[in-house]
Amino acid sequence: MTKEKEITCIVCPVGCKILVKTDGKQIKDIDGNKCKKGIDYAQSEALDPRRMLTTSVLVNGGKWPLVSVKSSKPIPKDKVFQVLKEIKKTKIEAPIKSGQKIIKNVSNIDIDILATRTIEKL
Amino acid sequence: MVELGEQEMTNQTVDVAVIGGGPAGLAAAISAHEHGAKNVVVLDRNSWLGGILPQCIHDGFGVEETGKSMTGPEYAEMYIEMAEKQGITFMRETMVLHFDKNRKITAINKNGLHEINARSIVLAMGCREKTRWNIMIPGDRPSGIYTAGVAQAFINLYNIMPGKNVVILGSGDVGLIMARRLKFEGANVLGVVEILPYASGLPRNVVQCLDDYDIPIFLNHTITSINGRERLREITIAQVDKNMNPILDTEKHIKCDTLLLSLGLIPENEITKNADIKIDEITGGPVVNQNLETTLDGVYACGNCLQVYDTVDMLALDSRRAGKNASNHTTDRRIKNELEIIPGAGVRYVVPQKVNKAGITQLNFRAERPREKSTLHVIANGEDILKKKLPWVNPANMIKVDVDFTTEVLESGKSLEVIIDD
Amino acid sequence: MKNFHVAIAGGGVIGSAIAWELSKYELDVVVFEMGSDVASGSSKANSGVIHSGINSATSSLKARFCVEGNKILQSLADEMGFQLQWIGKYVIAKNHDERKELERLKKVGDANGVFKLKIVEGGEVNEPNVSCHSALWVPTAGITSPYEFTIALAENAAINNVKILLETEVKNIEKNKDGFLIKTNNGEFHSKLLVNAAGLNCRNIVSMLEEPDFQIYPCRGEYLVLDKNYNSLVKSMIYPVPPKELGVLGVHITPTIEGNILLGPSAEFVDDAKDKKTTKEMMENLLKEAKEIIPTIPDKAVINAYSGIRCKLASPEEGGWADYRIENSKLTPGLINLLGIESPGLTAAPAIAKEVARMISQSIDLKTKDKFIPAKKKRKRFYGLSEKEQANLIKQDERWGRIICRCEQITEKEVIDALSNPLGAKTLSSVKYRCRAGMGRCQGGFCTQHIVRIMEEKFNMNVKDIKLKSPDTNLFYGRTRGARND
Repeated sequence: MTKEKEITCIVCPVGCKILVKTDGKQIKDIDGNKCKKGIDYAQSEALDPRRMLTTSVLVNGGKWPLVSVKSSKPIPKDKVFQVLKEIKKTKIEAPIKSGQKIIKNVSNIDIDILATRTIEKL
Repeated sequence: MVELGEQEMTNQTVDVAVIGGGPAGLAAAISAHEHGAKNVVVLDRNSWLGGILPQCIHDGFGVEETGKSMTGPEYAEMYIEMAEKQGITFMRETMVLHFDKNRKITAINKNGLHEINARSIVLAMGCREKTRWNIMIPGDRPSGIYTAGVAQAFINLYNIMPGKNVVILGSGDVGLIMARRLKFEGANVLGVVEILPYASGLPRNVVQCLDDYDIPIFLNHTITSINGRERLREITIAQVDKNMNPILDTEKHIKCDTLLLSLGLIPENEITKNADIKIDEITGGPVVNQNLETTLDGVYACGNCLQVYDTVDMLALDSRRAGKNASNHTTDRRIKNELEIIPGAGVRYVVPQKVNKAGITQLNFRAERPREKSTLHVIANGEDILKKKLPWVNPANMIKVDVDFTTEVLESGKSLEVIIDD
Repeated sequence: MKNFHVAIAGGGVIGSAIAWELSKYELDVVVFEMGSDVASGSSKANSGVIHSGINSATSSLKARFCVEGNKILQSLADEMGFQLQWIGKYVIAKNHDERKELERLKKVGDANGVFKLKIVEGGEVNEPNVSCHSALWVPTAGITSPYEFTIALAENAAINNVKILLETEVKNIEKNKDGFLIKTNNGEFHSKLLVNAAGLNCRNIVSMLEEPDFQIYPCRGEYLVLDKNYNSLVKSMIYPVPPKELGVLGVHITPTIEGNILLGPSAEFVDDAKDKKTTKEMMENLLKEAKEIIPTIPDKAVINAYSGIRCKLASPEEGGWADYRIENSKLTPGLINLLGIESPGLTAAPAIAKEVARMISQSIDLKTKDKFIPAKKKRKRFYGLSEKEQANLIKQDERWGRIICRCEQITEKEVIDALSNPLGAKTLSSVKYRCRAGMGRCQGGFCTQHIVRIMEEKFNMNVKDIKLKSPDTNLFYGRTRGARND
C-alpha cells in the first residue's frame, strides 16, 4: 500500500516541496527536489521523522528559576508531547552545569534530557 | 583602575572597549585579544552575558562555525568561556551613557560612574524590536500584547506565561520559534498572520514550528483591529491586495487573549548617533568601510547594530573582523581615495558602504524582493567589475560576495553601484 | 463604617485637585477612584496644555476658571514640584480670511483678561519649520504633564490624610438626613457631602440619586506621539485656525514637557464613553495634516498613539459647546456636581477646587490644619543631573547605578520609588506615569522584564496580579512551571 507524503525540504532556504511515496517501511519514489541534498532528508522525514527537543525545567535554589534543556538526540516526532509532559513534572536543584543530565532515558526512549545552561546557586 | 577620589568617578584606559556583551561583542573582544590587544573590556547592560542568546533556548546556532548545532545558551557559554580564558574584563549591569569623539566612554553601574578611555571602540549593542506603533495597528490598547522577544524572555528566563490563546503577527524566525514554544507550554496558538505571500522565516522553522503542530498561517493578511478594553479579547485580520492594503470585506475575527508581534528588528544606535557618527538610513546601522570602521576614527561596529544578520555564525565572523581591526587600529586612516558603494536597482542595501583600500573585500547585501535566476552586477564607472549569476534571491537571506577592488577602480571614481537584474 | 465629611467620586485631575484643596482643612475626606491609579480617565489622555483663556466664551465659567487657574499654576508648580513650561502658542492663519479669525480670537482673549496677545506676520513667526500667512502669539499658554500634576495633587492629599481608595467603584448611593450612604465594591461609607467629580461617569453618579437633567455626549480625541529625536521641529505649540471645512481636523502640534511632540487631538462623537480606540482613519489624518504644517515629519517618527474622551454636555447638533456646570444639586442637598469638565479642565482644576471648597464652606466650617505637610520636592530624575550629582547618588544608594529603562535612562531607584507611592498604585502604568520608564521609543521592550522582576522580588507581587493599567488588565496567565500552575 503506497503512502504519499509531501515534505518541505529544510536543508537550504529554497524549501523544495518533495513528494515521497513509501510503503511504510521503504521509499518507493522521491520527486520535486532541486538538488541531491534533499533526498536523505526526505527519506528520513518520511520514514522516521525526528526532532530535537528544547524546553526548560524548573530549578530550585538557583539564580534563575528555569534551566534550558535539550534532548541528547532528536526524538521521534510522535513522542514530543509525552516527553514534554515528563519534563514539566521535573524539578532540579541548583547548581547546574551545562551538559548535565537532567533526566536519564526520558519516557523510555533511550534519550536523555541535558541542561544547556549553567545555573549558579542562589 | 585608578580612582579619582575627588570626582567620585573611576577612570581607566584600555586598548579596546566593546560596547555590548552579546554574540557580536564577545566575538569581537576575543578576536581583538587574539590579535594583540592586551587590555580589552566588554560592557553589558544586563547582569548576564550573551545578550539575547540565553533566552534563545532552541538549537541551530553555530552550525557553520563549529559543525555542531547548539542552543543559544550553549553558544553563549562557549564564547564566554573563551573570553574568560583570555583574561578579558567584563563590566556587567553597566550602561554606557555616551562616548565622545576622543573615544572617552562614560558608563554607570552600581559601583558608580566610570570613564573609560579607549584606543578603539567596537559597537555591538544589538537591536530592539519593532513595536505596534511602528505599523500603527488601530484599535484598543489592552494588556496581552507583547513583542515576540519580550514574551520569549518571560517564558524562558522568568518562568512566566504571558497568555493562553495566542495569535502571532509576523512569520519571521522569532515569530515561528515562539509559536512552537507557546505550543509546548500549553497555549492555543491560533495562527500566524503574515502580510507577504510567503513566510519570511526559514523553511525549517515553518515545518518544525507550524506544520508539525498544525498551526495555521494566514498569508497575505494583516491585522486591521485590536479589540479589548482591559485584556485583549479579539483581533480582526483581513486579506491584503498587491499594495498591502486591507481588502475590507475579507475581515475575519479571531478570539484570543495574547498577541505576539514579530515585526522585525531595529539596530540600536542611540549612543552612535549621539557621537555624530553617520548612520545608513536603510540599514539603521552606522556607515562603515571595509574594516567595519565607522565615520568616527577608531570606532568600529559589528553585529545586529550594524545590520540585522540572518545567523549568528555570519555575525560572529564579521564581529571577529571588527575586533581584529580594532586591535590593529592606527590613527593613520585618512587615505586619499574612498569609494562609496551605492545600492542600486534590485538591491536594498550594501555593507560596507565605503571602501578605501585595494584588495578583496566582502560585500554583504540584501535583494529588494524575491527573484529567481538573476544577475548581480558590481559596476564602477559604467563597467562591470564583477558579474555573478544568482540562482535565487530573497530579502530574508543576506548575500555575501567577494569583490577585488583594484587601485585603478579606487582611484577612478567616487562611487560604485551594486545592482541585481534579470 | 467609616464616616467622612466629604466624599469625592472620581480621582481625576478635578477630584484630586479638590481632595488636595480640602486636605488643607480639618476634614475627613475620601476619594473613590474606580481605576487602578489616579488620572485613569481623561486626565491622563489629553494634550497637557495650560490654556490662556482665549478659547472660551467671555463670561463663561470655562473662561473664568481657566484664567484663574492659569494665574495660580506657576506657584502651584513651584510648591508641588510638577513640571510646567510657558512655551507659548502660535495660532496660525493660512490666508487673509483666517487672519480675520485671529483678530476675533484676540478680541475674545482681551475680553477674558488674557495678557500679552499679539498678532504677527508670517515672517515674524519664530518657528523655522512652520510657514504661514500670519499668527496670533499667545505667551501665557503652557505645557505640563497632566498625569504628573494629578499624581502630585493626589499624593500630597493622601499624605495629608485624605483616603484615596483605588479600584473602588461607587455602586449605589442613598440619601439620608445626615448625608449619603455610599456603597462601593470595597465596602460602605457614610459622608455628609458628596462631590461628583466622576468625569465621564458623572451622569451615572447623579442617576443614583435623582433623575438627571442632562445628557453627556462623549467626544473622542486621538493623538499621535512623536519620537524625541524630532523635538527640535517646533519650540511652541502650533494650532491652525479652527477649520470651517468638513472632515478637516485642524490638527494641533504640541511639544510635551518631556520632549516628545503630540499631534492631535481629533474630535469625533462616539456612542460609548469607554470607546477609546485609535482608528486608522484618524491616525492617517493626523499625520497627513501635521505634514501640511511641517513637511519634514517622517512616518517613522510615531512611537505611540492614544485617545481621550471629552465629557461634553452639548450634542453635535447643538453645536457641541456647553459651559461647565459646577453647582449644588437642587434636588439632592449635599450633592455638588461638576459636569461637563472638558478642555480647559486641566488649567481650570486648581481654581475649580477653590470654588468647590468655598461651596463646601457653606455647609461645613473649614478650619485650616495646623500641621499641613507640604509636597516634598518632585521625584528625583537621574537623567539630566550632572555627572558629579549622579556619582554621588550612586554612592549613597547603588540602585541609582542600575538603568532599567534604556530609552529614557531611568534607574532602579526611580522605579522602586515609583512603586512605593503613597497611593499604593502598583501597575506598569503607575510606574510609567511616575518615573517615565516605558515611555521611550522601544515602548517597554527592555524595561518591562526588569520592572516585573522588581515587582516580584522587591514588592512580593504575585505574577497573576501584575497589571498593565486598570483592574482587569492582567499581564500574565501564570507560571510556566511550578506548584501554582493551573
